[in-house]
Amino acid sequence: MAKTSENGQSYDDRLDNLSVEDCLIIKNEFKKRINYDFAAFLNTCVHCGLCADTCHYYIVDKNPKNIPANKLGLINKVFNRHFDLFAKITPTLTGSKKLSRDMVKEWVDSLFGRCTLCGRCALNCTMGINIPYIIRAARGALAAARLVPPGLQSTVDTAIEKGNNMGIARDDWLETIEWLEEELQDDVNDPDASLPLDKNGTRLLYTINPREAMFFPLSISAAGKIFYAAGESWTFSSDNFDVTNYGLYSGDDSAAGLMSERLVDSRRELGCEALILAECGHGFNSNRWEAPEWLEKKYGFPVKSILQVIAEYIKEGRIRLDASRNKKRVTLHDPCNLVRLGGIVEEQRYILKQSVTDFVEMTPNREKNYCCGGGGGQLAMTRYADRRLETGRLKAEQIKATGAKIVVTPCHNCIDQLMELNKHYKLEIEIKTVAEIVADALVI
Amino acid sequence: MPEIEINGNKIELNEEGFMANPKEWNEEIAKALGKAEEGLDELTKDHWAVINYIRGYYLEKELAPMVRKICKHTGLKLKYIFELFPSGPAKGACKLAGLPKPDGCV
Repeated sequence: MAKTSENGQSYDDRLDNLSVEDCLIIKNEFKKRINYDFAAFLNTCVHCGLCADTCHYYIVDKNPKNIPANKLGLINKVFNRHFDLFAKITPTLTGSKKLSRDMVKEWVDSLFGRCTLCGRCALNCTMGINIPYIIRAARGALAAARLVPPGLQSTVDTAIEKGNNMGIARDDWLETIEWLEEELQDDVNDPDASLPLDKNGTRLLYTINPREAMFFPLSISAAGKIFYAAGESWTFSSDNFDVTNYGLYSGDDSAAGLMSERLVDSRRELGCEALILAECGHGFNSNRWEAPEWLEKKYGFPVKSILQVIAEYIKEGRIRLDASRNKKRVTLHDPCNLVRLGGIVEEQRYILKQSVTDFVEMTPNREKNYCCGGGGGQLAMTRYADRRLETGRLKAEQIKATGAKIVVTPCHNCIDQLMELNKHYKLEIEIKTVAEIVADALVI
Repeated sequence: MPEIEINGNKIELNEEGFMANPKEWNEEIAKALGKAEEGLDELTKDHWAVINYIRGYYLEKELAPMVRKICKHTGLKLKYIFELFPSGPAKGACKLAGLPKPDGCV
């Protein structure tokens, strides 16, 4: 559960009473994060302003603080003041600023509270600046001083301490899988249908977002049913099943590396051929692309999204689908971390076209899609909930324009935000994972 | 901070409608949250079965129970629980039972 205090002090009290030492910790960590790429990006912004209208925060609220170049500017100013000799001696001329208590507050408000690290600004940056990469690094500097907002920090802490981000106990996980296995056996009318645990030497090691096991298990049943229909050799791990990695959002590389390493170790110990990532945008980006950087080693084994696996089943004729079982109009939301930042773009479309009769794209889509508003740790940071719902208006409008009754999205974080948008903007939609809609169309 | 007024008492909520001080919980608060957060004019016997189980589990373990446990101990089917609480077990049932917001993608 979200802790609201650190050593008995509330987060806001800590921000109001930051010590010189706190600022020094942030500065030192910030310095560590500056490599050549980073330094080159920092002073490259030409203030063309093109990024403004790409950001869902700015589109919804014309506060200049929401312009990506200005978020980047806050980091530039500190960099220049502390690490650029010329700017250091000419602060008035260059606008460089010390990392003071007020500046730390501005960093927190803008870098945690006005950004989902969705990367849409970077895609449209005339100078090609990787803005979310820099914002994440600055978040990491704040993380070193334990200044990640509550909710996001507690989710990282829970994952580190308990092995998964909802603190699910091992026995409870095993009991849930046993229960879902019985349900699957009833569903497919086969007492041998299984959700295997710790099976050695299988082709695939599958992972989940803990929220599936905790509160929304239908997506686990759906994936299990698809694996069953394909005759797949697969397993869960009883210890390391969590695909999420909130270290991506907090910016804390060591926590992020520790979480990803658990999956790497489990695959090796179980002797599985490939690591398969559940429908989780940031979990995919973290474990497919970022983790080798955090761990400073190459994987040497395949890491795939379950969407790639399902698309292969369809292409190879391993599963049969009857699209007429899904007749309602369906649209697709592209999770930023999976699509724009992850490169999984066409698989979900191929799968949906085989699984439903009336598929419509929302506009814009694919890598140009808008963030749902819940990414970057926003869903966990309660203090910014109002902004999150407000920025989600763009997504709500996109959905309404399609006339779809079902919104499919391969990301549990997006699903939760979409559930809130559904309620707040009265969309009257159903929200499903790709596996759920495929399971509905499966011919067994 | 947002708040909800019950019989003249102001109950503090967080920005997402979860109780700021879970110890203050009582059945009147559950009813008021049901109406404000889930649009439920009345809580049925089945709503109470779920809420009371979650509340008891939380008081004992300081955790929300998994939905498996909720189904097992109330004897209610999973799909029916989603019907009872439109926002689902976390932002629906746990919120009405006065739990703080769980960690993770919720």
